[in-house]
Amino acid sequence: MTVDEYTEAEIQRVLTEDVDIAEQGITVVRREHALILCGEVESEHRRDEVVRRVRELVPGVPVTCDIGIIRAQAPSEVEELS
Amino acid sequence: MIRIAAVGDVHVDKDVVGRYRPALEQLPDVADVLLLAGDLTRHGTAEEAKCVASEFGDLGVPVVTVLGNHDHQCNQAPQVVEVLEGAGITVLEGTSTVLTIGGTRLGVAGVKGFGGGFAGRCASNFGEPEMKAFVGHTEAIAERLGAALRSLDCDVRVALTHYAPVPDTLVGEPLEIYPFLGCYQLGQAIDSAPTALALHGHAHAGTERGMTPGGVRVRNVAHPVIKQAYNVYHLAADSHPVDASVLVGRH
Ligand SMILES: [Fe+2]
Ligand SMILES: [Fe+2]
Repeated sequence: MTVDEYTEAEIQRVLTEDVDIAEQGITVVRREHALILCGEVESEHRRDEVVRRVRELVPGVPVTCDIGIIRAQAPSEVEELS
Repeated sequence: MIRIAAVGDVHVDKDVVGRYRPALEQLPDVADVLLLAGDLTRHGTAEEAKCVASEFGDLGVPVVTVLGNHDHQCNQAPQVVEVLEGAGITVLEGTSTVLTIGGTRLGVAGVKGFGGGFAGRCASNFGEPEMKAFVGHTEAIAERLGAALRSLDCDVRVALTHYAPVPDTLVGEPLEIYPFLGCYQLGQAIDSAPTALALHGHAHAGTERGMTPGGVRVRNVAHPVIKQAYNVYHLAADSHPVDASVLVGRH
C-alpha cells in the first residue's frame, strides 16, 4: 500500500484521538516507500505503542521510528530575569 | 530574588511515575515554588491525577498549576482538581494565589487559556453558534486572566497558562496550527497588568523564549521544549515588564 495524504491525515488523527495513544506531538514524514515517525514522548512504552498502532494502519509499509524519550534530569543552569 | 521552577506537558500516567522524582528531590535547593503549565495527564482521569499527585506532591515547596486540554479529555476536570488539591497542589482557573517568599509577595494568576490565533490572523466571534462558542470561550478566559492579574496585591506578578499568549514561542510548530495553540487575547490580558513573567506549555514543538507586545517575557516550558525535568527562572523582587520604548524596531 502507498501512504497518501488521506492516510497521513488518518494516522495523525488516530495518534491523537485513539485513547490508548493520545499523542499530539508526533510528526509523520512520508517518503516514497516508507514512513518515518519523529517527535518525543514521555516513556518507551508510549513510543512502542505509537509505532505498533501506525504499523497496523499501514500494513506492508516500512515504518522507521525516530521518536525520542524526553529527558527528565535536573537542570544545570538557571535563567536570570532582571 | 524569587526562584521559580516551571514545567508543562508532563502528561503523567502510571508509566511515567518516578521519572521526574530524582530531579524533583533537588528542587527545594534551587527553587522557591514549582509552577506547572497544564497537560499534567494524558486523558484527565482521577487515576492519572493520582499519579500526578504522587509525582509532584510533597515537594517541600508550594506547587501551583493550571489544567491543560488533555486534563479535560475525559470530562472529569472537577475530580482531577479534587485529587490535586488533596495533595496540596493549588489549581488556578481564572484565580490567583499569593506566596510570600523571603519577604517578597509572589502573585500567580492562572487560566487554561484557549486557541483562536494571533492578531490579524485569528478567529472572529461571528457567524455560526459553534464559531461564536469557540471564540467566546477564548475571550471569557482571557478576560478572567486579565482581571485576576490586575486584582493581585503583590510585589511580583506571574501569569500561568497552558495555551500560548504570543506566537514567538510557537516557532517550530506548523504555522497552520497556530490558531489551535494560543491566542493574542491572553497576551493582551497579560499586558493589562505589570506582569513580570508569563509561562505556558501546549506547544510541544515550539520555542522557549518570547515576549508580549507590552514587553512581558514569555517562556514556553512544555517538557519537550525544555528537555529537562523543569526550568528555573530567577526574578528580581522588583521585576516588571521590559520598558516598551526599547521595543521599538523589534520584529
Ligand atoms: Fe501537551
Ligand atoms: Fe496541550
